[in-house]
Amino acid sequence: MTFTRSLPALLAAAAVSTLLAGPAFAADPIKIGVPVGLSGANSVVAPSVVQSAELAVAEINAKGGVLGRPLALEVADDASGAAGAQKAFDSLVFQKKVDVLISMETSAARNAALPIVTRGKVPYIYTSFYEGKSCSPFMYVNAWVPEQQVPPIVDYFTKQKAAKTFFLIGSDYAFGRGMLAFTKAYIEKTGGKVLGEEYLPMDGTDWTPIISKLKSAAPGALITSTAGGAPNVTLTKQLRAAGVTLPYGNLAVDEGTAKGMGTDAEGIFLSASYVTGIDSAANKTFLSAMQKKFGADLKTPNDLSVPEYEAVYAYKAAVEKAGKTEASAVLKALADVAVDGPRGKIAMSQQHHAALTMYLGQVQADGGVKVIQSFPNVSAGLQCPNLKP
Amino acid sequence: MITLALDIITTAAILFIVAAGLLIVFGVMKIVNFAHASFITVGAYAALMASRFGLPPVLAPFVAFLAGGLIGAATERVVVRRLYRRPLDAILATWGLGIVIGQLVTLVFGREVQFVPAPISGTLEAFGVDYSLYRLLLVPAALVIAGLFAGLLNGTRLGLSTRAVIMNENLAQGLGIDSTRVRLITFGIGCGLAAVAGALITPLASVDPNMGLAWLIGAFMLVMVSGGSLLTLGLSCFVLGGLQVLASTFISPILGGLTIAVLAAVALRLRPQGFARA
Repeated sequence: MTFTRSLPALLAAAAVSTLLAGPAFAADPIKIGVPVGLSGANSVVAPSVVQSAELAVAEINAKGGVLGRPLALEVADDASGAAGAQKAFDSLVFQKKVDVLISMETSAARNAALPIVTRGKVPYIYTSFYEGKSCSPFMYVNAWVPEQQVPPIVDYFTKQKAAKTFFLIGSDYAFGRGMLAFTKAYIEKTGGKVLGEEYLPMDGTDWTPIISKLKSAAPGALITSTAGGAPNVTLTKQLRAAGVTLPYGNLAVDEGTAKGMGTDAEGIFLSASYVTGIDSAANKTFLSAMQKKFGADLKTPNDLSVPEYEAVYAYKAAVEKAGKTEASAVLKALADVAVDGPRGKIAMSQQHHAALTMYLGQVQADGGVKVIQSFPNVSAGLQCPNLKP
Repeated sequence: MITLALDIITTAAILFIVAAGLLIVFGVMKIVNFAHASFITVGAYAALMASRFGLPPVLAPFVAFLAGGLIGAATERVVVRRLYRRPLDAILATWGLGIVIGQLVTLVFGREVQFVPAPISGTLEAFGVDYSLYRLLLVPAALVIAGLFAGLLNGTRLGLSTRAVIMNENLAQGLGIDSTRVRLITFGIGCGLAAVAGALITPLASVDPNMGLAWLIGAFMLVMVSGGSLLTLGLSCFVLGGLQVLASTFISPILGGLTIAVLAAVALRLRPQGFARA
């Protein structure tokens, strides 16, 4: 009943939208699947990721698409979890039959979804920083791993702040522990000493006993790796309330969270491959294009959304180099192409990972992040020695 | 050593502040208000609004009490009132109510962490150690709440009616006490106290739509162990909170996070009526 009534309306709508599609593309669109956490924990950042993808697709389509075909986005909600990711990937790969998957995911969701990617033989560009060493012939990564993020902070504290001893605090989960395990190894390798390493469960709210231990250990510097959002804010507020003024490096803070902490965030050091303050023409063009397209609805671009934008361009370059969208040809080409974007020139040529320029930033009184030092082309190290190039 | 003692005292104070609202509702109505977490959140957002309107931070807990109390009273009329004879359904209903309130907060303020400026910052030199001034201030705050609470219950007409309803509702009704009204006011005060807790912990916590949830299980356990009286709630906060700090300091903060829940379960197994004498 509903079907018969709505069918003409549907047809009419389809006809109108075809007419309105602008520069007429004869060919079918190339479908880009974007599984992200529109609900759940990632929903704070997911809208900015989708906006990045939308801008890249709109820009590319306005210039004639890829191989004469337009790009089309298929966004699917994964509810920020592993089970949701399996559903989202499954429907994108086998029902929507996307040509490529480009998105950020939590590590748990990525691990749950990789078998589906392998079964569907679809290229997957992973755009989230993560704990490293996740390898699949179908996956490329254009965001940072610990080998790239940690050294700038530790080196800066050792050289500029004369810190010889460190205290590490984290949330008790894979990413928190993984980051601090790497940090500890790196500190010890470079001659420093770790006086303590403490974790609180992810839903913990009271850091008092840990802060008391920190104060009695009296280290030269503090490095934290909590879960994003609430644990990071509670820890920082309680550190400040307890009068801790050590050099404070935070592996989990971004510009948005820093704003939420207000004056308590002032002075925190962070290390990222993207901050809005990058002083380059490409970044300024990108920021003004985002501003123009989204206006008041713009979600501030960040270290998780900008790699999404660049990955769409990397996919375009790979398809053009391969001359077709066929998966194995595109996967081979992805290792060879380099793309100029807001973060600089990036090629995923290091065992499916990319050398990145890392920025050491410090949070200012107004919540903005000032770039203190940049570290050009930091290598991703040995991530996947068993993968061919 | 002094730091450890201060950690224990201030932790107990914070736990007491957070659990007090739950205690009053449980004590009078014998139902567990699982929306307690959401009222903590409401209180924090009330403090956020108060600071946005430029009110002095001292007023924030009062604004929070009004907001939490009014919303609490409204939900008592609409939802909770029908469930007094079905305590298990009341747990489900208040849990659902909590989800609704959390989503409404998200709709209005968004998911992200909000920034509320801290009224006081810095440390105080106490007994030879630097200690967080705000945490120390929460100790008198907890005492004030306890004092007002005890005064209300033992020194006013409303308190008398409330105690009558607690002891024997039918008899109280027979004496002309409007027990429906007593329950409405009690639930409102309970939710208002939860909101005060939210406003008081904002300088130490993250203000986001789920902030209250982390406190709920601890508060629930403490109220169960206390057996429903104010004095024993203070005692159980001190004992279990203290053990939490000791476990966190000397073993591991991860075990510390389990302390209250595990010990409360053990305590209730050994002594189902809790710390209370009855």
